[in-house]
Amino acid sequence: MTEVLLLGRRAVREVVRLPAATIPTLFIPLFFLAVNIGQISMTFPSTTPFLHGQGYVGFQLPVSMMFAVCTATSGLALVTEIELGYFDKLLVAPIRRSSMIFGRLSADLVRGLAVATLVLLVALAFGMKVRSGVGGALVLIVLAALWGVAYAGIGMLVALHTRNVQATNASFLVFFPLLFLTPNFVPFEKLTPLMEALARANPVSYVIEGLRSLVLEGWVLHKLAICFGVILLTGLVLTWLSVRAIDNYDR
Amino acid sequence: MTSPQAGDSPSAIQARGLRRTFKGEIDAVREIDLDVAAGEVFGFLGPNGAGKTTTVRMLCTLLPPTAGSARVLGIDVLADPGAVRRRIGVALQEIGLDPVQTGRELLELQCGLYGITGSTARARVQELLELVGLVDAAERRTKTYSGGMKRRLDLASALVHAPEVLFLDEPTTGLDPASRLTIWEEVRRINAQGTTVFLTTQYLEEADQLCDRLAIIDEGLIVSRGTPEQLKSQLGHDVVSVTLDGADVAATKAAIGELPGLERVVAERDALALYVEDGPGSIAEIVRRLDGEQIRVGAISVSRPSLDDVFLQATGRRLEGREEHRERELQSA
Repeated sequence: MTEVLLLGRRAVREVVRLPAATIPTLFIPLFFLAVNIGQISMTFPSTTPFLHGQGYVGFQLPVSMMFAVCTATSGLALVTEIELGYFDKLLVAPIRRSSMIFGRLSADLVRGLAVATLVLLVALAFGMKVRSGVGGALVLIVLAALWGVAYAGIGMLVALHTRNVQATNASFLVFFPLLFLTPNFVPFEKLTPLMEALARANPVSYVIEGLRSLVLEGWVLHKLAICFGVILLTGLVLTWLSVRAIDNYDR
Repeated sequence: MTSPQAGDSPSAIQARGLRRTFKGEIDAVREIDLDVAAGEVFGFLGPNGAGKTTTVRMLCTLLPPTAGSARVLGIDVLADPGAVRRRIGVALQEIGLDPVQTGRELLELQCGLYGITGSTARARVQELLELVGLVDAAERRTKTYSGGMKRRLDLASALVHAPEVLFLDEPTTGLDPASRLTIWEEVRRINAQGTTVFLTTQYLEEADQLCDRLAIIDEGLIVSRGTPEQLKSQLGHDVVSVTLDGADVAATKAAIGELPGLERVVAERDALALYVEDGPGSIAEIVRRLDGEQIRVGAISVSRPSLDDVFLQATGRRLEGREEHRERELQSA
């Protein structure tokens, strides 16, 4: 546990000292939030049934949050370490290899909490209200950050398997189909049948639905349970695969 | 520098039939045997791609052997890699530093990974920073360090837990002469404190200066081993270096002709290296012959065979970097 804390503290320090690695990841979600609200809010006024009396910003916020927390930052940090040789230095230390993964994930959690909070504050500035209250807003931030932690496994897996910066950077693109084959602009029932089928088969949809319920509907426990379940399962699978990849590294 | 012979003390490192084959059936290391005695500086000399780094990576548990076995401090590297890691220090060819951390933070983290914490860690970090002369740069991020400073910090980070065996993979490659000398001094000091040092190098002078014993590796095989002096004396001849100073190479070679006891002539850059049985005894005859042909040369010097000659004898090729070494020899002659 100590080694995870040590490596986590180092990874967090890296996040703080390299803001240039985090700030660009905020630009796209905030840009999309502003543009989507500007373009679509007239089409879907607050009287629209699926908005539950809120503006369209409340509907879009979870998507922007997901955009902000899903990065390949940890994967890139890992592959950079491999290229620089520091990775070998850690491998030859008497620590569990998995602690290198968990150390990175702890930085993802801190980064996720920070960027999710920032995106939420921007949405509040647009006049959005969180129906589930302050507690719900905190849960919203934590769930979004946890999704970022779960998703970080993709970047780390690519980093460990390819040991290539370009490939790891490109792994971010995986999120586009995952994010856009969802009810991101309109609810399930407003999608075309094919899109609805694809969206219902996409687990990311249920994460968005859970986050969105906190903003628009209040405490809808079954949606939150499914959301948390998807995050947990995704996190367990991807982290297990990452740990396996690092355990088998050069073996 | 201590001078144990293999067999005087228990092996710090032992390998039997160690082999590593990479994808594509590339044999990086081909069944090598090693015995490194506790307390010695053992050198692994060879050109790029000879298998030095692969051997080090297997010995320090980073890479499993394809075949054979290796023990470090009596512990099987495959059966109990964790126990090996706790007792060794490693500074690999690629300097393993985190550019975002300061020198002090990096050493403190390294201490933590070896279970050294609190005031003990702080004291140890300060001690190491002083040892490698980086106290003034300790609060700077390592990305601002020069190559020599990075190498010294990397060395310090390999020493936080006072390892019993220290692996140094080409510790001075890419360093300027002054930094190289500093690293040599550190290696000697570390060894004097009882640490066994396994050092790979492609520099002849480094192997000659630092190592109690060495093995020459080429194309994955150990082709020769012994103390530097043993290896050189096995050749049994002297080297007469003739600095041409503008004289024609072919004419000079022709003038020297079939010198008594001459085994081989190697043309260097602006010099000839004559391998003769009796160097001092040949000087007069060489001068007489050159004078007879009215060939004026810069200087003539005699030296004992170098490790480069040993490498040539063992592999039929010169080792990269030999010119630099030869130049130093000629300059010092």
